[in-house]
Amino acid sequence: MAQRPTVYRHSIATRLTHWAFFLAFLALISSGLQIFNAAPYLDASDKSNPAHRVLSIDSTDSHQGITTIFGHRFTTTGFLGYTDDGMGGKTDRAFPGWLTIPSYQALADGRRWHLFFAWIMVISGLLYVIVGILRGDLRELILKRADIPKLLPMQLYYLRLRKDPPPHGKYNPLQKLAYTTVLFVLAPLMILTGLALSPSFDAQFHPITVVFGGRQFARLWHFVLMLLLIGFFVTHLVLVTTTGVINHLRSMITGWYRLGAHDGTGI
Amino acid sequence: MKRRLFIASSLSAALAGCGAIGTRLNDSRFHDVLNSAEALNHALLGTRGLAKEYAESDIDWNFRVNGFDTPMDSAYATLMNGNYRAYHLIVDGAVERPQRLALAQLRSMPLQTNITRHDCVEGWSAIGKFRGVQLRDVLDLAQPRTQARYVIFHCMDRSPEGLPYYESLNLHQARHPQALLVLDLNDRPIDADHGAPLRLRVPTQLGYKSAKWVARIEVVASFATIFSGNGGYWEDQGYEWYAGI
Repeated sequence: MAQRPTVYRHSIATRLTHWAFFLAFLALISSGLQIFNAAPYLDASDKSNPAHRVLSIDSTDSHQGITTIFGHRFTTTGFLGYTDDGMGGKTDRAFPGWLTIPSYQALADGRRWHLFFAWIMVISGLLYVIVGILRGDLRELILKRADIPKLLPMQLYYLRLRKDPPPHGKYNPLQKLAYTTVLFVLAPLMILTGLALSPSFDAQFHPITVVFGGRQFARLWHFVLMLLLIGFFVTHLVLVTTTGVINHLRSMITGWYRLGAHDGTGI
Repeated sequence: MKRRLFIASSLSAALAGCGAIGTRLNDSRFHDVLNSAEALNHALLGTRGLAKEYAESDIDWNFRVNGFDTPMDSAYATLMNGNYRAYHLIVDGAVERPQRLALAQLRSMPLQTNITRHDCVEGWSAIGKFRGVQLRDVLDLAQPRTQARYVIFHCMDRSPEGLPYYESLNLHQARHPQALLVLDLNDRPIDADHGAPLRLRVPTQLGYKSAKWVARIEVVASFATIFSGNGGYWEDQGYEWYAGI
């Protein structure tokens, strides 16, 4: 079988920012869970208010981990509430040591990691978008009106209910939808909900905090956005590993990608 | 700048057991890199704007108590039993006119009331009604000298290890119109658990700046030689001096 052509798919800026995103993403999630542990509950209100509590991760006197979501109690001993203390033992703690940075409870360190990697994420994001605009390849990633009718056929193709994907360029319509949502909806909301937790930001831009429903509500949105971004990340990993993981990894390291049968050629 | 223990030494030892990466992540150069974000945040957000003021109906009448235990020493007990009549706020250091102000003197100054949200570094928030003297009025009485840069708040409470609580603001932050030396919380003289007889209240920064049980205000050119040199008890434990975020 003749080898398909290899194309230069990812610019150096894309590759560098991709791995910066990856590193910052892991650091932000794990340091964010560390910060969450200091007040392991989320309220849909401005000030803390148990009457508006959406999520809490607690423990009982008998060391049972209890996770309460919208008033529904779940026993989560060993994973949430009463779990790994990061130092080889167990303790009353919302998220376990293997999910947090640092692994043991240390809010000051968690905040240092979080606020540093937030800058790495923001700077990498700006670099990615600016280079993408200058090179013109950001256009290929953004969902356009013409892509919308192709979303369903593409989903049917992924579900193996359709033999061929609809014709598309470098990115298929579902990829465009996902990346456009992450880059231009979820990421800005993540930054704004994070900033809304800052008393000094609130003093200067209080209407933004109000839009999110107040400081504690912004903390809840920040957490929900994290879950959505983890959803994107898991989907990304599944797709990358099931569609030629070596080829994808090589292209994100060297830039060169071997075209598949259904890849668009509009590189 | 002298770098602080980020981590209690016992925890460091535990992590060092995890090998080279753990050691590398705990070394001070790596922390200097992480800490660089503080300067960016300070530059980005600074101390601008006024904290939102709330309505009476928003007040948490049972305002949450947090921080160190209420002082238990005999000096504080004597003060409290005498209804704080023996209390004097000392204002000294790099000032032209050191002050020794009794509560009655502070109460005779113009008082400001603001209902603002207290945002804890842990993540929770509570709304209280704070009445007190504007910090800048007290500083104006003492007249900071030209070399003055920071205001240190020495407090009566101590950590479980016996270290005294203290905090600091720069002069710009200290002159913020909502920065108060609070006499009353929620329409009553502030009680022992909330920092009686006098606490600081800085609504544009996280709660650890709002020191309770303030005994002395020291105006200085630099806080490098005060305790561990980071400008506050929690700052000495690794928290940011700039607590606006």
